[in-house]
Amino acid sequence: MSTGLLLNITICFAITVSSFTFAWMLYRSKNEHSEKSYPSLKMLVILWMLVGSTYLPTTIRMIAAYFNNPEIDLLMYNLASVPFAFVSVPLVYFILYVIVGDKNISGFLSATFALFGVVYLGFLFSNGVIGPNVTEWSSLFMINSDIAINLYLIGLFVIPTAMVIGLLSLLILRRLPKKLRYRTTLPLVAISFVFDFMLTDFVTLVDEMQLAARIFILLGTVQAYLAYFPPMMIQEKLGIKEYSYEVYNESNDDDEQEVNDDV
Amino acid sequence: MSDVIDVNLEKEIAEFYQSFGINQGPGDLQYRLILKVLEINEGNMVEFSEIRQYTDQFADRGSIGSKMKTVFQLEGLVDKVKRGAYTITDKGLIAASFLKETDSFFKNTKKTYEILERMP
Repeated sequence: MSTGLLLNITICFAITVSSFTFAWMLYRSKNEHSEKSYPSLKMLVILWMLVGSTYLPTTIRMIAAYFNNPEIDLLMYNLASVPFAFVSVPLVYFILYVIVGDKNISGFLSATFALFGVVYLGFLFSNGVIGPNVTEWSSLFMINSDIAINLYLIGLFVIPTAMVIGLLSLLILRRLPKKLRYRTTLPLVAISFVFDFMLTDFVTLVDEMQLAARIFILLGTVQAYLAYFPPMMIQEKLGIKEYSYEVYNESNDDDEQEVNDDV
Repeated sequence: MSDVIDVNLEKEIAEFYQSFGINQGPGDLQYRLILKVLEINEGNMVEFSEIRQYTDQFADRGSIGSKMKTVFQLEGLVDKVKRGAYTITDKGLIAASFLKETDSFFKNTKKTYEILERMP
């Protein structure tokens, strides 16, 4: 019984819980968002739901590996591959909608990425995977199709990552108030973090690298949560604290009344 | 010439600057239109009637004439070459170049805030 696998289970479970919680918190805050930002919010919720849905079967897969059950391990790997193949769909919609602002263009292009996902799954399931190779730290599968790996690398990850970087640069180059800069760039950095390390997680054949990738995914999820719901300490440190105040009404000012009376 | 200057866009830009309390220069629609007409006719004489093609819908003749005299002529942005005809000076071209900067600032700011509006 490996303690490394236990650590892996814990990390996968933490990713699952934090992703679902974040998605739920975002969904609950929907009334605070404008009509214009609602479509992108919806996509963000779906994105984090898909991340959670990828790591829920992965948690079970790691538990199966811990108890030496390769059938469940394989079943859960295949199950996790389904949400994983479609993670880029809401992301592409989100980025395109934010930049272009056209629901039809965003919908059409994200549907193309859904097609990429279906083709990837087709190659993955038709060619199968080799494994599991259970080590001290993890349980690894090797994708038995070069086409699937290339499709997944180029179509599902490189293009969406380039889009995230594009939007990020667009926002970084503009002069924005500190609070807006924090609120817009941090979620993008977090998404990029999670997205890229998910790629590493699924293609790597080195157990330590997979574990490290999962740690970074967990950090990315926490980072995304902090971007939307920053604790007071961070707000104060970064100087982005929002003060609640009422507009000062001069007619209620007793001192000024006295001055006026004197005059 | 009416294809070159988009009066509605100029109005939108002027209102944008007015919303910051900048009511003169970039925030003044008359100033914007006069300077743009002069700039696109760089090196040529501009008749008062050409300027009025754009400004008549927003301002009366008197206020444009007064602006030409108290702002453009006084500050040396134009030279009066004959009665009711002007030509832009080098200083006027600098002012026109600044006006272009204000156009870019308006467009960039609008684009950025539209993006931010769509960000959850």
